[in-house]
Amino acid sequence: MAGKVIVITSGKGGVGKTTATANIGTALAEIGKKVCLIDADIGLRNLDVVLGLENRIVYDIVDVVEGNCRLEQALIKDKRNNNLVLLPAAQTRDKTAVSPEQMKELTNDLKEDMDYVLVDSPAGIEQGFQNSIAGADDAIILTTPEVSAVRDADRIIGLLEAEGVNDPEVIINRIRMDMVDRGDMMNIEDMIEILAINLLGVVPDDESIVVSTNRGEPIVLSDGVKASQAFNNIAHRITGKDIPIMDLRKDSVMTKLKKIFGLG
Amino acid sequence: MSSAISFQVSKKGVLINLNFESKFSDVKKELMDHVNKADNFFAGADIYLNITGHCLKLEELSELVNIIKKYNDINEVYIDNNFEQKKTTINKKKNEIKNKKDTLLIEKTIRSGQRVKYPTNVVIMGDINPGAEVIAGGDIIVLGKLKGVVHAGADGSYDAKIFAMYLEATQLRIANVISRSPDENEKNSKYDAEIAYLKNGKIIVENYNN
Repeated sequence: MAGKVIVITSGKGGVGKTTATANIGTALAEIGKKVCLIDADIGLRNLDVVLGLENRIVYDIVDVVEGNCRLEQALIKDKRNNNLVLLPAAQTRDKTAVSPEQMKELTNDLKEDMDYVLVDSPAGIEQGFQNSIAGADDAIILTTPEVSAVRDADRIIGLLEAEGVNDPEVIINRIRMDMVDRGDMMNIEDMIEILAINLLGVVPDDESIVVSTNRGEPIVLSDGVKASQAFNNIAHRITGKDIPIMDLRKDSVMTKLKKIFGLG
Repeated sequence: MSSAISFQVSKKGVLINLNFESKFSDVKKELMDHVNKADNFFAGADIYLNITGHCLKLEELSELVNIIKKYNDINEVYIDNNFEQKKTTINKKKNEIKNKKDTLLIEKTIRSGQRVKYPTNVVIMGDINPGAEVIAGGDIIVLGKLKGVVHAGADGSYDAKIFAMYLEATQLRIANVISRSPDENEKNSKYDAEIAYLKNGKIIVENYNN
């Protein structure tokens, strides 16, 4: 069985790559898929913190490529789901510690045993980005409804094409439908028109993501949060299920009332 | 008869060339004579030994190096192959440090991504933040908050200790034993000195004042 290597990238920093990687990975593992997450952000690792696994790190990706340990020794099992493992980045090194060829070899080894290998890309288009896409079969582009983020996403799509990673899909993160409706925020259709790629999902802006990220517990594990539902839907779409993009507009007064009386 | 050794002085130090036609015994004798005559002449200089043209046994090479080390107060000895200074380095200074059991004092906070590695004891007058690493051959003393990863006794000393004014390390390592912080850790942020050491192969953390 050979799985798929999917890179999650954006160009721009701070759009939510790491949070998305943690949540999509956890959601896929909850579905029952075997998933490995790779933190390719050497020197600025975060994925371990978002997953609450920082205190378990002994070996990291640089130790693996430098031969200080075997690959299996560096893989950290998630504390909640046995289907999920993390290959952490090194914090005291920089992007040059790993080459694209080594990355390719690593992801090829990993996908032998996994259904999905998700690579959390660093911001930028330099070596860290080149490393993260080296072994990728597919790509997920993350963007937010900002002109600058969409511009960077467009640049990344071009770079991916040049590297032979075709047909990336886009996730629009942190959308606020009330602002879209007022005309204060780019709407989904406009962004898709610019990027001209398939829409994989839309994740609403949600305060509880900040809370869950700081606690080291992915939001997909909590019920009743729209962002959680959005990430779960994305995971299902990755596995090939056809799930429509959910309606993110705020509940109407009627449905709010119904919820209060337990009828919703 | 041409001499068995010759000297060259350059910016980086003194180069000793061996005459490729000379026998090892001649080289040795001449070098020994020179050492005895030289007095403090090479004090403070790096010495580069160029053995190009010679095929020396390891014992012969170390004999020559030992002779060279008898020059008074020289800095370091390198084996140099045509000025490519890489081969063997005999670092007198490093050995001295190891024997003296001394301590590295750092008067600042060690931040995420920074890594301090030292062959003996380390004292930090500051914090060790999450994502920072301090590795010491001996003990580690933190006069601040310890939140990162520390490894005491990294050369295999089971009696190494870790002391911190506030101990909430991501990981504690002593010799080849690792312990990690508990997942649910709601510690109050008051300073309360703790010390960690090995007992029966496990890392024990206890209050320092009790």
